[in-house]
Amino acid sequence: MTRVKISIFVSVCFLICIASWFFGPRFISPFSMNPAEREILFFIRLPRVIVAALMGIALGASGAVLQAILRNPLADPYILGISSGAALTATLGLLSGGLIAGKFGIPVSALIGASFVSIVVGAFGWRRGGIWPERLLLAGVGLGFLFHALLMLLISVSSDEAVRRTIFWIFGDLSVADWSVIPYGSALVIAGLLLSIFRSKALNALMLGDELAHSLGFSVHKERLMLFISVVTMTAASVSLGGTVGFIGLLIPHVVRFFVGVDNRTLIPVSAVCGGAFLCMADMIGRTVFSPMEIPSGIITALIGSPYFLYLLRKRDVLGG
Amino acid sequence: MSSAADYTILELDRVNFSYSKDKEFIRDLTLSVGNGEFIGLLGANGSGKSSILKLASGILKPAKGKINLWGKSLHMYRNKDRAKLLCYLPQLLDINIRFRVRELVSMGLYPYDIPPGINADEALELVGLADKADSFLTYLSGGERRRAFLAMTLLQGAGLLLLDEPLANLDIKYQLEILKLLKNLQEKKNISILMALHDISIALQFEKVMLIKEGQILGFGTPDKILTEDLLKKAFDVNIDISKDDTGGMYINYRNSF
Repeated sequence: MTRVKISIFVSVCFLICIASWFFGPRFISPFSMNPAEREILFFIRLPRVIVAALMGIALGASGAVLQAILRNPLADPYILGISSGAALTATLGLLSGGLIAGKFGIPVSALIGASFVSIVVGAFGWRRGGIWPERLLLAGVGLGFLFHALLMLLISVSSDEAVRRTIFWIFGDLSVADWSVIPYGSALVIAGLLLSIFRSKALNALMLGDELAHSLGFSVHKERLMLFISVVTMTAASVSLGGTVGFIGLLIPHVVRFFVGVDNRTLIPVSAVCGGAFLCMADMIGRTVFSPMEIPSGIITALIGSPYFLYLLRKRDVLGG
Repeated sequence: MSSAADYTILELDRVNFSYSKDKEFIRDLTLSVGNGEFIGLLGANGSGKSSILKLASGILKPAKGKINLWGKSLHMYRNKDRAKLLCYLPQLLDINIRFRVRELVSMGLYPYDIPPGINADEALELVGLADKADSFLTYLSGGERRRAFLAMTLLQGAGLLLLDEPLANLDIKYQLEILKLLKNLQEKKNISILMALHDISIALQFEKVMLIKEGQILGFGTPDKILTEDLLKKAFDVNIDISKDDTGGMYINYRNSF
């Protein structure tokens, strides 16, 4: 794919994000707004669009990185158990009625859980001076099951309203997004994204195997640790901003690979942009089609994304690397 | 094939290494590779050839002993600086990732901030793969894939290549192609090559052969001195006759081995 085509691709994604700001249960024209519409546009929709874009960027980029680190096309950011840990602590936050983490409730308690699981899964994946992909993957799956079981236990003994909110959040709930979470969310996502882009050459080399990466002048364990940090930073930020949105982290990198190839120097930024635009679009659809009721974004991403991915899979082998 | 080395590039001095605590796999190994030398590391499966190459490349760390590259301890080099001087290619290159050949070859420039010398297309030209530059790596034959990786090492510009069984699992045609390419590189670019192999008939084509068994060097020198029936019996545990034809060329005779 030429630079011109990538530029067009990125521009379209940017336009989708902008469009999702103005479209919703009702279209608000930026050229003729009344004060109420201005309020909706800047204090409800804009933070929501930014949060959706940040989450999509984080999930798209971290999915691409993780699939390369683990050399596993089925890897997604949630496979490391980070989302289950975040969901557990967020649910605790919800059920405690704000006792944990005060007014920041869900985002902060989710971030605490995500950070805790990231450290634990990293510790389990660590052996002989470095992180080993197979150990990381198995530790993530094991911890994920454990936290998921604890979450189900918590939900099964809780009241109806709290359970409903929790389930909404688990499927990706952007309705709680406001300006207060954006500074820390964008700081974490941008830091993780930049780290992964700066290490993308090393990631390409790691895809050839540890020995070739060493021969090409990379410190295998150090690079893998940096990339792991970038993934957990982005994933933790994303989960804490709006719950666990499926599909993007797993399949967006495959779809993008189909168009731009496997070179991570291009794949990571394009997956990030594409993930951001896709979640903005899914959120716009989710809050529009059954208005005033909202459909969680995670359901929309899977309903739109999966058939398209299956179409691509049938058309051409998108999993081949 | 090569002129005598006038200086040492790589030196392993009384190197010890073990995979487990109870048994030393390599003990007091000493060897050196000189400028422009093309050395075959010959031994049976499990004799320690790959381990020696991994020690020499810095992938494995010795328990004892010194490894010097250009007179300086290998482990004192920054990773990128070492990669500009020494390149290792593992035996298994069946990487199922859809890199295009040009993308793969360009990775040879990763150690550099400013690209030196040749570009990816020129390196592909040198290994005879110019017409495959835009093909996916996964679509190449075994021999083509080897040549693509060799093009990557050319771009890397290292003066020392450590190659682990680069002829393994290749048809004789591809084996000879790769061997010819390596000899060309050695002669034209004065690259030093230490190459693991287990095929005695291929070892006969080398100027120098190092015979390995259980992590020890059984002998080092020209094939007519090293590939003797006694030493081959020790290294491979079978009876192998090495005969000479009318022109003095050596060939293997397995008649008495069955």
